[in-house]
Amino acid sequence: MNNNNVLIIGAGVAGIEASLLLANAGRKVYLIEHTSYTGGNVIKFEEVFSNMECATCMLAPKQQELLAHDNIELLTLSEVSDVKGSLGDFTVKVEKKARYVDMQNCIGCNACFDPCPVSVKNEFEEGLSERKAIYIPCLGALPNVPAIDTENCLRFKGKDCQLCKESCMFEAIDFDQKDEELELKVGAIIVATGFSSFDPQKVARFGYGKFSGVYSAFEFERIFASNGPTVGEIKLKNGKPPKSVAIIHCVGREEKGYCSTICCMNSLKFVHYLKGKLSEVKIAEFYFDLCIPGKSYQKFYEKTKTMGVDIIRTQDIKVTNSNGTLKINYSTENQPSKTEYRDVDMVILSSAIEPNSDAEKLANVLGISQDEYGFFAEKHSEIASLDTEKDGIFIVGCAQNPKDIQDSVAQSQAAVGKILSLL
Amino acid sequence: MRARALIYPAGDKMKEKIGVYVCECGPNIADNVDIDKVIEVISALPEVAVVERHKLMCSEDGKKFLKESIQKNELTRVVVAACSPKQHEATFMKVCESAGINPYLFQLTNIREQCAWIIADKAEATERTIRYIRAALRRVPYQNALEKKEIEAKPDVIVIGGGIAGLSASLLLACGDRKVYLIEKANTLGGKVKELDKLLPRMESSSNIISQKIKEVENNKDIEVYTNSEVTEVLGFLGNFVAKVKTNEDKELELKIGAVVVATGFGMLDIKQIPRYGYGKYDNVYTALEFEKMNTEGKILLKNGKSPKSIGIIHCVGREERGYCSGVCCTYCLKFANYIKSKLPNAKVFEFYQELSIPGKAYQKFYEDTKAKGVDFIRSQDIEITEQKGTLTVNYKAETQTLEPQNVDMIVLAPAIEPNSDADRIAEMLKISQGDGGFFQEEHPKLAPVSTSMEGIFIVGCAQGPRNIPESIVQAQAVAGKIFSSLIPGKKLEPEVKTSEIFEALCIGCQACLTVCTYGAIYFDEMKRVCVVNEVLCRGCGNCVGSCLSGAISTKHFTTIQLHQEVVEALR
Repeated sequence: MNNNNVLIIGAGVAGIEASLLLANAGRKVYLIEHTSYTGGNVIKFEEVFSNMECATCMLAPKQQELLAHDNIELLTLSEVSDVKGSLGDFTVKVEKKARYVDMQNCIGCNACFDPCPVSVKNEFEEGLSERKAIYIPCLGALPNVPAIDTENCLRFKGKDCQLCKESCMFEAIDFDQKDEELELKVGAIIVATGFSSFDPQKVARFGYGKFSGVYSAFEFERIFASNGPTVGEIKLKNGKPPKSVAIIHCVGREEKGYCSTICCMNSLKFVHYLKGKLSEVKIAEFYFDLCIPGKSYQKFYEKTKTMGVDIIRTQDIKVTNSNGTLKINYSTENQPSKTEYRDVDMVILSSAIEPNSDAEKLANVLGISQDEYGFFAEKHSEIASLDTEKDGIFIVGCAQNPKDIQDSVAQSQAAVGKILSLL
Repeated sequence: MRARALIYPAGDKMKEKIGVYVCECGPNIADNVDIDKVIEVISALPEVAVVERHKLMCSEDGKKFLKESIQKNELTRVVVAACSPKQHEATFMKVCESAGINPYLFQLTNIREQCAWIIADKAEATERTIRYIRAALRRVPYQNALEKKEIEAKPDVIVIGGGIAGLSASLLLACGDRKVYLIEKANTLGGKVKELDKLLPRMESSSNIISQKIKEVENNKDIEVYTNSEVTEVLGFLGNFVAKVKTNEDKELELKIGAVVVATGFGMLDIKQIPRYGYGKYDNVYTALEFEKMNTEGKILLKNGKSPKSIGIIHCVGREERGYCSGVCCTYCLKFANYIKSKLPNAKVFEFYQELSIPGKAYQKFYEDTKAKGVDFIRSQDIEITEQKGTLTVNYKAETQTLEPQNVDMIVLAPAIEPNSDADRIAEMLKISQGDGGFFQEEHPKLAPVSTSMEGIFIVGCAQGPRNIPESIVQAQAVAGKIFSSLIPGKKLEPEVKTSEIFEALCIGCQACLTVCTYGAIYFDEMKRVCVVNEVLCRGCGNCVGSCLSGAISTKHFTTIQLHQEVVEALR
């Protein structure tokens, strides 16, 4: 009764790597993705540390290969609703929402966007720009096929609008598509659901949501992105480029109770972003403990230090606002009782990594547990970090533990190693 | 006039029957390119047998139309003018194949991204489109039919190094249909993990875990273990390596394998190189591994046989000298504090650290629990150990201030992790490169962490970079994933078709190409005094072509004459 098909949940970098490796080994892969696109969080990055490679260019060939692979069935807008059985013999129910755009007929020309009369905030762009009710999250998204957002589309609110359909030359828009429930038979499951970012609004002292110059790391990432809301122009809400920027590490570390591993490097990367486009900008990094493990990261840190940035170790930090200028109030270890100040016009908050919001639901569906932080619990932290208590269900990438891209990819390849040795 | 002479291909190139297919891509091309005009101009060219247009060539209907037209007109070459090759080159190559024409006798010219979408003026976009189609028409007669090749591959694997990474890789790889040869230079398996007392953060016995793995390896009939042995030579390529192993009994073994896993682990920085730590000079200054040994043996004792009342643990020893953070020392120093607190609950413990690196969900709690046991954490730099009448003193600075020195009875130093002493030899033997810190260089720092630029040679654990135990095990399993997926027993390999080739007659044997090839795909034939491409290893990157001073190298499908013809016509 050994079925050697594999179900992979999450089409981020970890899920893509696992899918391709299994598919190239001749296995049938069902890749389940709850959004309408592939690439997860990585495609939000313009560049990745420490080689400063363009993230979308890095991932696009893999995404293309995935979309063209005969052994991979990508199910977007889909969620796993039920799992029964055991290693070699799982029965999985998947709720697949209709895209209302035909994947075969659509050529991705985007002609349907303009006629759509609905504009809503684009969640992919952290709400910094708007999108239509028929949309792709950003230029370059793959598959390059829009989806209709039924919550906002007039037609799904009872109006008789079909402007998108009329504008399509390829008869790709199909209002008659229906949500489906699929039943899949697989032998093993890989959970690669990635991470969310800690909401910095939960810690009032950072002023996020209160002061307009305070941004989350992902917001800044999109502001810098050439396919983002400002087409890569770094500017404040008033349209002017920032003259001085503070980057604050470890936002939410205390609240979450762990170090998120990648934020120090990601924050150092921002110096490269800023100096690359605004050579005169003043930058201060406020950190607690510098976590840059491994053979390559210190070198990146040393290089960043020479680019004209103050790297300040601090204990307490607070962001206030006086007459429109943001003020960083902080103290150092040498003089813990003395508050020092620094005026800036932009603050970037490097937020903790936390489990995806639907992790609990998925844990219940899969019958696996979560640890005290909400990440999926591994069987043994030292020697079996990708196995779960349920044979045949594996956890990889940030769904298991905060980690960088390299370690996420390695874990995906490792899960494939386990699966191919078992089935 | 010289350029003119190049326009018409000589000889039987004129006999080719070339078809040109223009895709409208709905409005995307049709709206901004005058396709009627394009067809009028192109059909007038003598080398063109047929010109057709289609609303959407990549659609099922379009592909069927293309296939039938190729067959009906008995074409020998095909040009499709449509979108970017990234989008649909593979699509149309498949159509050509199904129509019975070699897919490399087809050329896709991009008139959407490079004409229709970027040129506002329709007349100009049309002119450019014609120019690009002419360039493709000029190129395509010079293209050669290329065939896929298949080569036999052996699924068996050699694993160099029997530490936790090598053991884990061997166990996963040996699951029934392939043999694993595990080569260890020491006389026992287990590597450095065997020397540890407990594993953090669960504080489980290390020897239980490692002996279990060793037992499994020894009982696995698909794994052949050679201790006291060394790999002395590896030749060949993915699927077809031959390795020489010098064994215990001084015999030489020849193994035929498909892949090589390098799990040679790490060495530790020799602290004697940094005199200010007093190691080797003062009693009671120990390295991390010496301290582990003390704990494995059961007692933490000073040289005089007494229990220490205070112990200083020094992090980051050699970090500055090596230029990187070893990643694992902060957490194992926390483990040491736990060792001490469980054996000597009243002993004072001072952790002298620079930056606490405790990444991931498991370690902050371990740190807080350790701190709660009464361990002092002192952020410090510029540490110097001195001794007076048997008392050790830790002198240090914090930020800019010099603080009161701390007296202790015992010091434990956490030295940096560095590549194994024979890393240079192994790199040279396997033709893999060494990157940051002298560790073996992965193929890609993000997407290919355990592969190398030499296909079929993999790096895991601390051989690739400083890593902790769970990461090393994951990497070992990752290698298994890569090998399972690329070397399937009974399945042949399909190497890249568009490889480089070297024309013997032109090669002067200067070997410039050898130095630029990152895949080790070129070797020097000593007898003929020329360079030769191993087509199995070559990925067709073209680096060698650019490096060749005598113009002896070309990459198939991108030959000089093909590119020249295309460029000349595009610029005419």
